[in-house]
Amino acid sequence: MYISYNWLKDFVKLPSKVSPAEIAEALTAHTVEVEGLVSQANKFDKVVVAKVLEVKKHPNADRLRLTVVNVGDQKLNIVCGAPNVAVGQMVPVALSGALLPNGLEIKTSEIRGEKSEGMICAEDELGLGKNHEGIMVLGKNAKIGEPFAKYLKSDDIIFEVDNKSLSNRPDLLSHYGLARELAVIFDSRLKPYDKVIGKEILFPEAKDSKLNVAVENSELCPRYLAIRVENIKIAESPSWLKERLIAINQRPINNIVDLTNYVMFETGQPLHAFDALNIKKIVVKLSKQEPFETLDGKERLLSADDLVISDGSQTLAIAGVMGGKNSEVSEETTAIILEAANFRAATIRKTAQRLGLRTEASVRFEKSLDPNLTEDALKRFLALLKDICPDMKITGNLFDLGGRVKTENKLDLEFSWLFSKIGQELPKEQVLNILNKLGFQATKHKEMLSVVVPSWRATKDIRGREDLVEEILRIYGYDNVNSSLPAEKMTAPIINQERALERKIKDILYLKFALSEVYNYSFVGEEQLKKLNIDFFNHLKLANPLSEIHSMLRQSLVPGLASNIKNNQFRYDSLRFFEFGSVFFNAPGDFKKDNDSEAKIPYQEKHIGLVLAENSRDIFSELKSLVTGFFHELIPQNNEVIFSQLENFPGWAESRLAAKISIAGQELGLIAILNSSVEKNLNLKMKAGFAEISLDALNKVISDSDSFRFQETAKYPAVIRDIAFVVSEEILYNDIKKEISDFNPLIKSVELFDVYVGNKLAAHEKSLAFHINYQAPDRTLKSAEVDNLQTELVNHLISKFEAKLRDF
Amino acid sequence: MKNKFQKIRAEFLEKLKTVSDVGGLRELELQYLSRKGELSSLMHELKDLSVDMKKELGALANNIKNELETTFNEVKDQLDKLSVKNALVDITVPGVEPVHGHLNPITIIQREMEDIFSSLGFTIFDGPELESDYFNFTALNIPPFHPARDMQDTFYVDSKNQDGDLDLVMRTHTSPVQIRAMRKLGAPLKVVVPGRCFRNEATDARHEHTFYQFEGLVVGENINFANLKSLLELVGKKLFGPNTKLRMRPKFYPFVEPGNNGEYTCFLCNGQGCRVCKNTGWLEIVGGGLVHPDVLRAGGLDPEKYSGLAFGFGLTRLAMLKYGVTDVRLFNSGDLKFLEQF
Repeated sequence: MYISYNWLKDFVKLPSKVSPAEIAEALTAHTVEVEGLVSQANKFDKVVVAKVLEVKKHPNADRLRLTVVNVGDQKLNIVCGAPNVAVGQMVPVALSGALLPNGLEIKTSEIRGEKSEGMICAEDELGLGKNHEGIMVLGKNAKIGEPFAKYLKSDDIIFEVDNKSLSNRPDLLSHYGLARELAVIFDSRLKPYDKVIGKEILFPEAKDSKLNVAVENSELCPRYLAIRVENIKIAESPSWLKERLIAINQRPINNIVDLTNYVMFETGQPLHAFDALNIKKIVVKLSKQEPFETLDGKERLLSADDLVISDGSQTLAIAGVMGGKNSEVSEETTAIILEAANFRAATIRKTAQRLGLRTEASVRFEKSLDPNLTEDALKRFLALLKDICPDMKITGNLFDLGGRVKTENKLDLEFSWLFSKIGQELPKEQVLNILNKLGFQATKHKEMLSVVVPSWRATKDIRGREDLVEEILRIYGYDNVNSSLPAEKMTAPIINQERALERKIKDILYLKFALSEVYNYSFVGEEQLKKLNIDFFNHLKLANPLSEIHSMLRQSLVPGLASNIKNNQFRYDSLRFFEFGSVFFNAPGDFKKDNDSEAKIPYQEKHIGLVLAENSRDIFSELKSLVTGFFHELIPQNNEVIFSQLENFPGWAESRLAAKISIAGQELGLIAILNSSVEKNLNLKMKAGFAEISLDALNKVISDSDSFRFQETAKYPAVIRDIAFVVSEEILYNDIKKEISDFNPLIKSVELFDVYVGNKLAAHEKSLAFHINYQAPDRTLKSAEVDNLQTELVNHLISKFEAKLRDF
Repeated sequence: MKNKFQKIRAEFLEKLKTVSDVGGLRELELQYLSRKGELSSLMHELKDLSVDMKKELGALANNIKNELETTFNEVKDQLDKLSVKNALVDITVPGVEPVHGHLNPITIIQREMEDIFSSLGFTIFDGPELESDYFNFTALNIPPFHPARDMQDTFYVDSKNQDGDLDLVMRTHTSPVQIRAMRKLGAPLKVVVPGRCFRNEATDARHEHTFYQFEGLVVGENINFANLKSLLELVGKKLFGPNTKLRMRPKFYPFVEPGNNGEYTCFLCNGQGCRVCKNTGWLEIVGGGLVHPDVLRAGGLDPEKYSGLAFGFGLTRLAMLKYGVTDVRLFNSGDLKFLEQF
């Protein structure tokens, strides 16, 4: 929002030594952030008034002309494309070096072989409107060579205020509202608004015979003021009015429209003027589903939730958003109906959002305006209209549906409560003074502070005592508060085990195993999942994705990690990454959806994903080593890592090289190598293997490992016997190992030390070799006893697995 | 036999005198002292002799073997020393570098923040990234159709409730965890919440739809604005150095009242003014305020009894400032050329 300094000065007289920069700083410190400060003179630096002396055709371009202009101290040759350029015109010329408000930098150049030493400007290029029909032709009062800013009389300074941070302050979307703040900050006098209006407006008592007004939904329209005015003469606005609007980047249109806008930017209350021709009745009501052409010439589809202004048979305007083409004020208009209304914020916001039509009016209404502001704005409009159209005539009574709202918003608080929120005491008189200057009626009754909230702050902004704390503090100055740390009882902090584990996991992976941490997006896309052969039927989808590639919520970290490999593969021989992140599923989870029901939001959990990619090594066994090593670091006790058959392969996995990981019976995740068809789809040039582990499952194993206790070391020596045999490749290590371990209680441990597949064996055979550790808790085992056991074991394995003893 | 041993001894010692380099020494070792060398072979023959002879010659053989080995080692040591003295070692040659892994810079900054707050007794808390509309907005005093929803362009999940409304969102801030933390831990409490957030805005060098925040919440019986100010000052000094100053400005956030933003002395120019702080000497880094009573109520706490302070830092912004990263997209890019610098 743009705020004119000159305009503010209509309402508040600030100390003369205060500079605009200081005003901007003060507003930022106490009220709202001022993002920029532009002096009008600087805005038109190196733009001067010139007279067109010659116009010739451009020899090399039909639509261009060669002109010579007099800029005062010299004559310049300028190539111009505007059709309306003519000898004798006074025009704005941007000289070489000028930086125009639209960002264009002017340089002397050659255009189609002809020298051009500047530019004759159109309105839009100067930021004075949207007109780009032709160059701007200046009035008779223009003087050759004078700075364009001087011609515009723009000595104004414009503050650019951050709109976003004003969503709770409808009163500040106006010059008068900001003037009120400045009066408080600089302890100056604010001109009361009835003095600003100046004239007494007399409304006839007699019922207007030409107009009727009704509000069907008073809940959606708490107040509606309308008045009919005749003898209107549509014309260009007087220059003071145009200047004000131009200064805040508004394009002047005609006197009536400009005046409604002027009053809105001054008071914050949007006004609307209908062409009164053909309108006998105004009805505020909900729309039906119908197309409607708005002022901007676009057809909009209205719904039954939209509030509209109707004449009983047809829609005239979308309430609080935009008027209709059918009742637009035009050059032929001679009578108007002026509307000053208050609409329910949520309704206006809904409509503006649905139609994608955010206007200066809707932005104000959706912040909950003060219903009493309608009166001031309407009076101000009529008072100014009397100056602009002296013959104007009010034809009848003022319709005021809803009437003046008496604010009952009164807050009582103890000074001690106030000071306890601030953390220090302030002089009570200062507290009263701040509130009263802001327009509150604050009184002190012993230790109590009693505050009546003004209507313009009572709609939404100031509801409770806490809101007053902010009012007092921000004017007093946040920077003036004495800081002090909380005084509290010492308590032991609650340690979040999961977060501690997260840190440990990351440390192990990056320090010990040299993986680098990536953050991938939580979103995946259809094409990506198709390439990975992942079924996305059950993925949660975004209702409003930014793009197709980020349209669904990931259920695995693998797609992201796979693209990490793809994106880095040409710059490295070997890659290793991990990610720690959330995955999302289309099923109810653990977290509640709200405080009142048992509904749950979708299940989501943290995963740890790893990828290794390289061409020269056996990625699968390396991945197994890494995973095993990782778990040993994390859980040094009771943690044999078991790799077993996966029941369901992910579509991207090579089925021969995929396994489930578990520890102590708890399934933790999987490891797998990417299959070659997916490799091809993704254009991967490296063999890539992935591991994905669930943090919840891991946490469970870790908390179970808390029950670990030290065991006495064995008193009697162990006897180690080796065994090596050949089995079919289909027999799994896990099964053999289990068979050996369970064979006899004297077998304390079994350790695989060799696996052989090769030309000493038949096809589809493999050889496994184990150390078998025999130990008794109560005696030293005799050699013969162990020999017997070992023989029995060998026989057992031979019959169970059709094994052969290895003979080489 | 005896003579043979003596002969080997003499030959060996003679040859040893003439040896001048490690290569010659090695040849000598192979010929005489190795497992299949002349001395070993001869000693091997002892086994066929009578017991007495074995005893006598065995002792001799061992003596000779010891003598030869000792002498050999002396010469070898000398030669070794000589060769070390001669060879110039370039000690500036680097060692073989082990493979390194790297943390994402956001993690590094996050840990720095977590450590500051852990040391102050805060709990590090966590919440879901896919949130309900209720926790992300309504419970934080942002009812449906409140204009404050504009401040946060939201990704909605395509799943409607009974009323036909989209009521699941990708959280737009870490603030919903305030409510979840109060519900779970009660009061008094001190938590910080680092985490991933989402805004529906097109990405470019300065905008990311996925970014990271660091939220803080303190609830107790007497928490006040001076506490908030003091805490933020302390964090600023820890993060950016002991001379860091804080200035606070009013700012509207629906879930706090009063609300503020916080600017710290620009640590890049020490407040002198530079390109990054747009010549103001200040960097806007934190937002905060006293917890709105509606928010305490949504958290199941009585605002008459408890009050709270809350604040939020942009982790992504902190990382960009600290490391001078000018393209925000790098953090989520998985580009190893970027990551390996950290």
